Amino acid sequence: MKKLALLSIVVVLLFGCGQTNKNQQKSEEKSSEIVVLTIDELYEKAPDLADKEVVVKGTVMHVCKQGGARCFLMGSNEDMNIRVEAGEKIGAFSQEMMGSELEISGVLKVVRTEADAHNPGQEHGEEEQAHEEDEETEEAHKIIAEAQEAAEVVYFIEGIKVKEL
Amino acid sequence: MKIRKLLRILHRDFGYFIVGMTIVYALSGIYLNHRHDFNPDYKIFITDFRVELPALEELSAEDVEEALVSVNEDVIYKKHYINNEGQIKVFIKNGEAVINPNTGEGVMQYLQRRPFIYSLNKLHRASIGTLWKWVSDIMAVILIFVAVSGIFLLKGKRGFNRWGWWFMAAGIVVPLIFALLYI
Repeated sequence: MKKLALLSIVVVLLFGCGQTNKNQQKSEEKSSEIVVLTIDELYEKAPDLADKEVVVKGTVMHVCKQGGARCFLMGSNEDMNIRVEAGEKIGAFSQEMMGSELEISGVLKVVRTEADAHNPGQEHGEEEQAHEEDEETEEAHKIIAEAQEAAEVVYFIEGIKVKEL
Repeated sequence: MKIRKLLRILHRDFGYFIVGMTIVYALSGIYLNHRHDFNPDYKIFITDFRVELPALEELSAEDVEEALVSVNEDVIYKKHYINNEGQIKVFIKNGEAVINPNTGEGVMQYLQRRPFIYSLNKLHRASIGTLWKWVSDIMAVILIFVAVSGIFLLKGKRGFNRWGWWFMAAGIVVPLIFALLYI
């Protein structure tokens, strides 16, 4: 039992250290290629960067008080901000990060607030096409399409890595 | 080896092994249950104050820093900006302050990690990376094993069949009632 306990501690330590080194190597390689954007620059280019990996830097203006699952990075002013989800890779942001400059690597996600709230999984496409479309359905689709066009676009980042500057 | 004897040995050793983890989850669980009553991770100290500041157009980082240090000499200034309400929002190490530029009145929030509990909560939330997620999964499986194997350890008058099942049923009924009533 003693041996088993010691062995498990050694395995956990080795595995943990290995992971860190690998992550460090990978991140060093990537950081030399990717351009770091400010929040203002990110919003300028956001439509082209949707679903792509981005690196942004900004000031932490708010950290979610329920465990730090997300934070908000601020650009040139309070209104120029973006939500960053910590996700599994970052884990959590801490309240002590408030006011710190962070460099976040993550995937820029786009949601259309109204449309996505009512149809989160975009589960409207193929199955519906198999149905016969009557006038009412056609009208409903038209309304949904118009709502999607009119809806406010909201961007957020699914965080992968965080660096305090 | 008889199955009951094997169970007893495994239950005993895994039981010893899982003590630490059980305390981590139980203790932090109490704090996290009360997350709407108080901040489970930090003690928050709130101070009202009044300071003299120059006009906004002339306000520098040094002015803000000096003003806050006059309130509490331990304050470490990070940065400030003017928020949408026209107030001066100041980030300090482990906290923040908001100052009305017209009156100089302000409120400072200073956060202090709850010693020990802060770390337990982090472990409980599994918010320290992927490796811990898997380690805690294994611990959870061990905890389930210890709980279930415990059912079969004793024979006789105080065994599961004649005595234990009442208690086990009670332990299941309590959360079940809440689930049926509130979910």
